[in-house]
This record gives sequence, structure tokens and C-alpha cells, in this order.
Amino acid sequence: MQIVKEKDASIAKIVEVLNRGGLIIFPCETVYGAAVDAANPEAVKKLSRYKQRLLGKPYAIMVSDQKMAENYAELNKTARSLYRNFLPGPLTVVSKGKHKVAAGVESENGTLGVRIPDYSFMLKLINGFGRPIVATSANASYKKRPYKINDILDNISQKQKRLVDLLIDAGELLHNEPSTVIDTTLDDTVVLRQGKVVFGQQSSVVSRSEENTQNIGKELWQKYEGYAGQRAIIFALEGPMGAGKTQFTKGLARAMGIKEEVVSPTFSLELDYGRLVHLDAWRIQSGEELENLGLKKKISDKSILAVEWADRVADTIRKYNEEAVVVWVKITYAKEENERLISWGVV
Amino acid sequence: MKILAIDTSCDETAAAVTEGATVLSNVIWSQAAMHAKFGGVMPSLAQRMHKERIDFAVRKALLTTHCTVNNIQAVAVTAGPGLAIALEVGVAKAKEIAAKYNLPLIPVNHIEGHLLSPLANHNEKVSFPALGLVVSGGHTELVLIDKIGEYKILAKTSDDALGEALDKAARMLGLGYPGGAILEKMARLGKPKTYPLPMPMARSSNKESFSYSGLKTAFFRLVSGSNSQLTALEIYDMAASFQNRAFQHLIRVVTEIGKKYPAKDLLVGGGVAANIELRKRLRKLGKELDLKVRFPYSTKLVGDNAAMIGIAAGLRFPDHDLLNTYHPGQVDRKPRWSIDVDY
Repeated sequence: MQIVKEKDASIAKIVEVLNRGGLIIFPCETVYGAAVDAANPEAVKKLSRYKQRLLGKPYAIMVSDQKMAENYAELNKTARSLYRNFLPGPLTVVSKGKHKVAAGVESENGTLGVRIPDYSFMLKLINGFGRPIVATSANASYKKRPYKINDILDNISQKQKRLVDLLIDAGELLHNEPSTVIDTTLDDTVVLRQGKVVFGQQSSVVSRSEENTQNIGKELWQKYEGYAGQRAIIFALEGPMGAGKTQFTKGLARAMGIKEEVVSPTFSLELDYGRLVHLDAWRIQSGEELENLGLKKKISDKSILAVEWADRVADTIRKYNEEAVVVWVKITYAKEENERLISWGVV
Repeated sequence: MKILAIDTSCDETAAAVTEGATVLSNVIWSQAAMHAKFGGVMPSLAQRMHKERIDFAVRKALLTTHCTVNNIQAVAVTAGPGLAIALEVGVAKAKEIAAKYNLPLIPVNHIEGHLLSPLANHNEKVSFPALGLVVSGGHTELVLIDKIGEYKILAKTSDDALGEALDKAARMLGLGYPGGAILEKMARLGKPKTYPLPMPMARSSNKESFSYSGLKTAFFRLVSGSNSQLTALEIYDMAASFQNRAFQHLIRVVTEIGKKYPAKDLLVGGGVAANIELRKRLRKLGKELDLKVRFPYSTKLVGDNAAMIGIAAGLRFPDHDLLNTYHPGQVDRKPRWSIDVDY
């Protein structure tokens, strides 16, 4: 292992180390990091040996600017807004990867964390290198955060030390937190293609309070409960955050005779109240995942379902148009603060 | 009595070995690394990952403590609440181990695990009745602990969980999902009184529950009402304003209800218990109500983990003889198991 002071370090020499698959330890605005060439599978394996890291835990890459990032990850609107506001800085933005880095860098779902360091030496280095490096904090997993090189050297084994080719020493760093990781892959990109849905009949009404919205749930239940036991009934709910999809379901459940308090199923994905199954597609990444929660069986059991964020899985729900009664309920914000326009229709 | 504990209720594959309230090992294999702290699940993938990793996690939990299954006296497993297809992986593995080695199997409530997690590696005595608060992505519950194993829910959320509300607010600010942890960092840089947001349930006569839907709606209006791209400063202030109101409401309900009970201790567990600002406010509340506020000793006990499951089982059954309650065949997953109901 070679140790150089940051002020004496030559970018060209470090690039050379990276190019031959070497592992470097470097300073930045958060903590000391360890890095290798992101495109070199052997080098990434070496980094994992150094970190003594469990398999399956993804890494993040460091790039010099957004342009380089876009070669390796697909940036959606959320991601671009984060890049604009917070990068360079201590923020790792997770996007859908383009699978151009070595195996094990992207996550199992194919997502990739990208960061632009707010540290001019590193920006110069990555620029000189011309492609991303895989970077992680230089401590072994679960060990002390490294703010000076002795935090590292005192805590790693001889074996680990032998894996380090070059260490760039910038003295003691400011004690900043490690970077924060933000996943932007869950974006509201799936939009119901309204054009495909042809309502047999459609109605709408204005709600002026949460209680109003609950009552509309109750009324819609009374309208369609005649189908219960004969066919499955799906209340497919759509509407922006905070519009009242859970409130609607509360009214629905109460009208069905369910005594338990109906709460948001966003975290649980599925809450089974016996007669009613309350599902939430917000965190679900595809309609297929809804099927994996046993949708087919629920339909053939003639269950009654309320599905929040149904527009995200519209194609999957549409598959059951014949077998089930699908009531689409759309809740939108109206002019007044407490007003909502609730419209519904059966396919 | 050494217990092997397993938890696969969400997206962490976890196994641990505990003895009484002592954590001997605590293995957590997260499926989505750090950004999955409060959620982010694909159910079928979660199930497949649990299946692939559970043996490794169990082996590592045992190896770390230099144990084999032969040194273990009981198996504990999270039976609920949680995602059914995820829970069943852990339950099946626990049943398999219990049957193979003829060990008693203890089904544990995941919320009870969070509730008792502050007692891990804890030597001071807790007096009962005590208050317990679980704040996570899926749950917000204030519980009266009459004694270990006897719980009464004093308040719970009527819509969103606290962690979920924080995650969703972060999402509205374009901070991705789950973003509760980043919201906390942004909030530290902002001024909490910049934007007036309503106090949840200010006018409601029902003071026995938490509610975040109204606050979420007001926040949506605030964020979407801004025509131009939000500046970093605006994001900081909005994050601070939202977090401030969300915590004020929590503290208010806990104070209102808490002062009615002669408790000396408040145990706090669950993912949001990692939030420094919340910890500060709860400690202040503790001073006012003369409560000792206790948090888990390590962040590894805050998020989902199996050590808390082993501890809940160990505290409930300190005596090996009491253990013959459950036959492995009787234990099954209970996705909507409430903490005030016996298994």
C-alpha cells in the first residue's frame, strides 16, 4: 500500500492505478471512501473482499457530472430534480440502471445508486478517469466511520491492508454524515390510459368532507352489493396523495358491517378484513406483483376488493373485467380546500 | 435459556440468538440495502429472497455465537403482523427446525418485538404498568404494558402510520421513496414554522387515536400549489414544517393519554425511533410526565430484526418449563395479528 498526501497526489498516477484494477482510498466531503473501476468485475470483487461485505448489497457509483450519470442510469423527473437541487453533494440517487457496470454494483432489481461528490479533487480524478468509480465508505461493514486515515488503518486487518493499492491522505475530514440514499425508481409513471376504459354508466358527485367521502363509499356499496356472492367486486380507486381513497374505503367497510378500523394499506400492501380485502398498489412496481398477492384466487373466490392506486395496475385489473364487477372510482381535488370530485363508473 | 429467533415479516431476512434480554447475535440481511428502511417491497421477490437467504441467516446467527442448534432451547418466530407471503417463509423454517430438533416453538407478535426492543441488553428494572410506543412505517401504536405479555392498545392510527406519512411527505417533495430518513435530514436544515400546516385532529373529540391523513392532504396542497420548481431552501422548510406538525401531534396524543396512567417508564421502538428530533421531543415529554424514556441500545434493534423477537419470547417465557405451550404444528402465520390478542 502506498500513501500519498492529497496535495502531492498526481491524478494521472491514480488513474493508472484504477486502470489496472487497483483499489484506492480517497477523501471526500463525507467520509474516507474506497473505490475501484466500476467497469472492472475483478476490481469490484476485490472491493467486496476489502469491505468484507455480504453478497447482494449493492454499491453506488461516483460520477463527475449529470451527463456521465445519464450514460449509466435512466434519470426520471424526480431524479433530475434531485440532481439539480442537491448534486454535487452528500446524496446518492438511486435510478434504474443501464446495466453498463460490473456485476454486483447494481442491485438485484437492476437499480443503481449514483453520486456526484462535492469535493473538487475527486471530481478532477473522475473526470480524468473518464468513467465512474464504484465508491463506498472505507471502513469494513459495521465498523467506525472513517474521518481520518487512522480510523481505517487501526480497524482493518493485514489482509485488508494488502488489498489497498493507494491511499490518498487529506488529514482529518469534517465530521459530516455519510451520504443519504434516495430511491427514485418508484415514480408515478404508470398512468391509467383512460381512453381504453369505456364506462357503461358514469356519475359524479362533490364531497365536502372526509365524512362525505365515507358516505359515498357507503352508497356505492349499497348500489353494487347485489353482485356480492355472485361475482367478485373490485372497487378500483384512483386519485392523488391525500385525496381520500382510504376514507372512501372506510365508508365501504362500515357499510359492509366491518367493525375494525380501516387504515392505509400502503405499508402492508394488503389488509384482509374478512369480507373485504384492502389492497394498495402504490409501492407495487408492476401488475404482476398484484397477481402474486393472490389476485386470481381472490377473484375466483368472489371476494370484494378495494384497490388503492389502481391506476398503477390498471392493465392487470382490466384482465378481470369479465369475471368481476369492476367499479372505477376517481377522486380528484376540487377548488375549495375540503372539496373533492368523486366520479365512478362500471366498465 | 438460549433462543433462536427468526423474522421475515417484511423485507429483511433476520435471524438472531438471544438469552433472556441479552442479544448474542443479530443477523439482518436487507433486501434493498439502506433505502428499504421503511418499505419498498415487491412481494414475490421478497418471498424468493427470504427463501434463498433464511438458511444462511440462521447459520450465521448461530456461528457468531459459536452455537449449534444443540445449544438452543427454543425457537421463536414472528407470526404476524406482516406480509403473508413473507411471514410464511420464516414460520416454515422455524417449524422445520423445531420439529427436527424437538424444540418448543414460540410465535411472537412483531409489534411486541418492537415494543420490548428497548429492553435488549438492559439491566435497569422497568416498573409496570409501563407505556410503550411503536412508531414505524406500518404502525403507530401507544400501548399500556400491564406486564410482559399483557397489552392494551391506548391509541393507534386511524389512517396512515407515522413512518408512512413521513415517507409520503418526502415523496411529495421529490425526495424518492422511502424517504423518511432524508426528510429528517432536510428538516434539520429548515425552519419548522415557515409554513402553517394544520394540527391533526385539533377539533376532533376523539383524542384516542393518531391521524395523518389531514396533514398529508394539506401538505399535498402546499407542495402542489407552488408553481415553480421548489428551491432547496423551500424543501428544507417544508420538510421541517411537516415533520414538526407530525411530531407535535404524536407528542400531544401520547401526553394526553400518558398522564392518565401511573407509569414510570416509556419504551419506544420501531423504525421512526431512529429519528433524532423525535427522540429529543420524547425525552422532553418524559421529563414533563416524570417518565423514563427508553430507546433500543442500537440502531440494529430499531428497524426490523430478529433479536427483538427472541427477547420478546425470552421475557415472556423466562422459565423453560413454561414453554410447552405450543406444538410446532399449531403455529401458523397471522398477517393481521393485533398485539392485544393472545396468539
